[in-house]
Amino acid sequence: MNGKQSYSRRFFLKTSGALAVLAAIPASVKALYNEAKNFIVPPKQTFPLPVSINKKMYKVTVDTRTTLLDLLREDLHLTGTKKGCDHGQCGACTVHVDGERVLSCLTLAAMLPGKEVTTIEGLADGEKLHPMQQAFIECDGFQCGYCTPGQIMSAVACVKEGHTSSVAEIKEFMSGNLCRCGAYNGIVESIQKVAK
Amino acid sequence: MRLFNTKKPVAARAEGRVEAVAKVTGSGKYAAEYEVKNVCYGVLAVSAVAAGSIKSIDLSKAKQVEGVLDIITHEHKPLVPGMADEAKIKETRFGLPIFHTDKIYFRGQPIALVIADTLENATYAASLIDAEYNTEKANVDFESTHPGVKLSSAGKEKGTLDAWSGAAHIVEAEYNVQAEVHNPMEMHATIAHWTADDKLVLYDKNQGVNNVQRVFARLFNIPPQNIEVSSEFVGGGFGSGLRVWPHALASVMAAKQVKRPVKVVLTRPQMFSLTGYRPAAWQKVKLGADNNGKFVGILHQSKNNTSKYETFSEGITRITRMVYNFDNLKTEQATVPLHLSTPTWMRGPGDCTGAFALECAIDELSHKMQVDPLELRMKNLAVTTDPESGKPWSTNFVNECVEKGAAMINWKERKQVPGTLTDGEWKIGYGMGIGMWGAGRGNASAGISMQKDGTITVKTAMTDIGTGTGTAIQNITHSSTGVAKNKIKIELGHSDFPATGSQGGSTGLSSISGAVSAVCDALKQKLATYALVQKEVYKNAALPDILLSETGVSYKTNNNEFVSYADIWKKNNLTTVDVEASSGPGEERQKYAFCSSAVHFCRVKVNIKTGKVKIDRMVSVADGGRIVNEKPAANQISGAVVGGIGMALMEEQLADKNLGNLVGNDLAGYHFAVNADAPVIEVAFINKTDPNINPSGAKGLGEVGIIGSAAAIANAIFNATGKRLRDLPITPDKVLA
Repeated sequence: MNGKQSYSRRFFLKTSGALAVLAAIPASVKALYNEAKNFIVPPKQTFPLPVSINKKMYKVTVDTRTTLLDLLREDLHLTGTKKGCDHGQCGACTVHVDGERVLSCLTLAAMLPGKEVTTIEGLADGEKLHPMQQAFIECDGFQCGYCTPGQIMSAVACVKEGHTSSVAEIKEFMSGNLCRCGAYNGIVESIQKVAK
Repeated sequence: MRLFNTKKPVAARAEGRVEAVAKVTGSGKYAAEYEVKNVCYGVLAVSAVAAGSIKSIDLSKAKQVEGVLDIITHEHKPLVPGMADEAKIKETRFGLPIFHTDKIYFRGQPIALVIADTLENATYAASLIDAEYNTEKANVDFESTHPGVKLSSAGKEKGTLDAWSGAAHIVEAEYNVQAEVHNPMEMHATIAHWTADDKLVLYDKNQGVNNVQRVFARLFNIPPQNIEVSSEFVGGGFGSGLRVWPHALASVMAAKQVKRPVKVVLTRPQMFSLTGYRPAAWQKVKLGADNNGKFVGILHQSKNNTSKYETFSEGITRITRMVYNFDNLKTEQATVPLHLSTPTWMRGPGDCTGAFALECAIDELSHKMQVDPLELRMKNLAVTTDPESGKPWSTNFVNECVEKGAAMINWKERKQVPGTLTDGEWKIGYGMGIGMWGAGRGNASAGISMQKDGTITVKTAMTDIGTGTGTAIQNITHSSTGVAKNKIKIELGHSDFPATGSQGGSTGLSSISGAVSAVCDALKQKLATYALVQKEVYKNAALPDILLSETGVSYKTNNNEFVSYADIWKKNNLTTVDVEASSGPGEERQKYAFCSSAVHFCRVKVNIKTGKVKIDRMVSVADGGRIVNEKPAANQISGAVVGGIGMALMEEQLADKNLGNLVGNDLAGYHFAVNADAPVIEVAFINKTDPNINPSGAKGLGEVGIIGSAAAIANAIFNATGKRLRDLPITPDKVLA
């Protein structure tokens, strides 16, 4: 960390905590605190991150606040992973970390050293599409295509997890991936096809 | 739950949409994904009050954040010529005069845009902006406000109300629909780049690049051709991309201010107040029939909310003037201004809300008369003549949709007496609803560029928001020219391509198919002209006689009078053969009326202990003329029905009456149907050509899939439980109440 800031995070947390305790203190003291707080704008901190994405090693300098999603989209231009809500509510940003499905918008880049990240760009074997990608094409498992990379990453995991015994089970385990076009027919059909 | 029959191969070969590989590999670029050199990030800060004006904005903390390049506010901005004064603002009709007023019209209105080197810095700085307001009392309460707003006529009255006041059977009821938000999965985004003082490049999420061009040309007083708009991949629209919204202008202003490309991506909560929504609506329907089940009269009244700075009227009662015959008909409407942002068209605008009330009222009447609601509808459908214009329908197979759908869902299993069918603690019911939409067609242009090797590229400015437009264009081009599909490339969504209207109102395919047919003819004609140099027979050759193959032109039969492309290219010293053509509606619109329709059937299970409603089966049969593109067409209908499930059971955007803010405005708080909320939707088409609408015979399908679907569900819930629930969404608390 190259922290050059004059006020540490710990100082800030301690001061904030103290304020809660001092809620009964006269208004003038509070005002003083508020004034002091105005100067507390912690500067950006960065750190060097080695991370393996789609079996390729990247060494990047990353803002501590950067999520895996923004790292992929904004810094590495791997824009296949989509931002649909940035709050873990839609599944559009689903990637695999060490083979498990993970929401990249809720994963800080700082959590990645030593992990293997697979995104939609890393799913195909060169020109040869992954069977799930192929199935989504054949079953028309999308319309606008924006939730599709997340759907496919979840679908691959759904099959691997073995949650494909019925339409109802597939639907249940794919319900973390929203599709506003409502292309659920084709999504379920694709998964059924690959799971067979 | 019904299973797909996967034993049958889904497709003979892996042939999908033209853009399928780009979508499943993530290589297709959506607006925010273009790599633009030196781009910086804009993040909006929004107002914390719903009404009043800005007293002061404190930017001191935000400016301390490193990487902040500038902060735009109403006090510090590049002046937009089209917003120079009140008169200009009115004239430009942009809507919210972002950063050109200190007035606050709704909570969540942008008050500042931070421009910084990274998204993190801009986001953090925007969070540090404080403002003081002259706060006024805000009103966001539609329910208590609308009774005070007077109705006015919505279309010509037919007959009189008195004429049927003594009808044998009359029902009268009020219906409410809460506001709904489009929420396409891709959040609205714009990258703006001024490449010269008067030259603008935009990567923007929208449903019509030419519209975006026109809007910015007006705002900045520059020629439209100076504005280049790319929208090749659009992550859903549902109507939200038919307007240019404030954030797009904000990014353009910011790019001017910092002389760098600026990217603005809305956050999901901002999507709820800055890109429109389907307004909340109140309706009252009074409907009468005689003893033979013939409708004798209807009164349909509606009100929808709008904003304080613009009027948006939904056209909710329009559908009542279109589907059935009424001797006496009166429709009225009103708008109710509130301290909320302006609503806009959302999938099946007006009709979707109107059909809910109309189709429920018919169900209520059938119950009162003790007749099958299907029979009652069939007796009154206006299948030959459009009741509004008096013109004959070009084609209208809504009755066939009813029959086909009834057979598919096994309608005869339905019991006339509600609450008859049970399965443990679940009550089972059947319901239906009809959707109809005026099948439009607009002007459109398309171009073809042909290479020596016989490869052709079809280009049009029309976007493909997920409807399958590109694939349909390929299909039409293939059948018009005979060129193999793998030799037909499609390029869409760029303002440099031949101009079209926006992709909205189910007019996309209907409009572009005419242009594509015309440009295919133009290509054949041009190649024949070249071939004429070598073979006399091509002089005055009729279009159907000019055949194209992979390698050359033939006359009447394959390889007859063959002239190879190689020869044509060589003799004329060509690099490409380029043609462009336009087409649009014509005289047929004077002679005929046009409609698409969809009939929805639903079987629900309602849990009497928890109030949970489970859609057991949903069958939708649509008349969209000739189906040019079957899988994507079925996908359109089933997807729209999923939207209808959301409308019926879960979607509602509420506002806090005291604070004026939207409640739960994110995807955890605002629920639309997830995979498990929908059954496998069963879709069928009548698939009969409309000979008059356009050369392809296809009628638009984007809207009809949602229209009437919520009513089918509500009617099924009544049939299951005997509870008539007239307020959407029908959440478990209402079922149990």
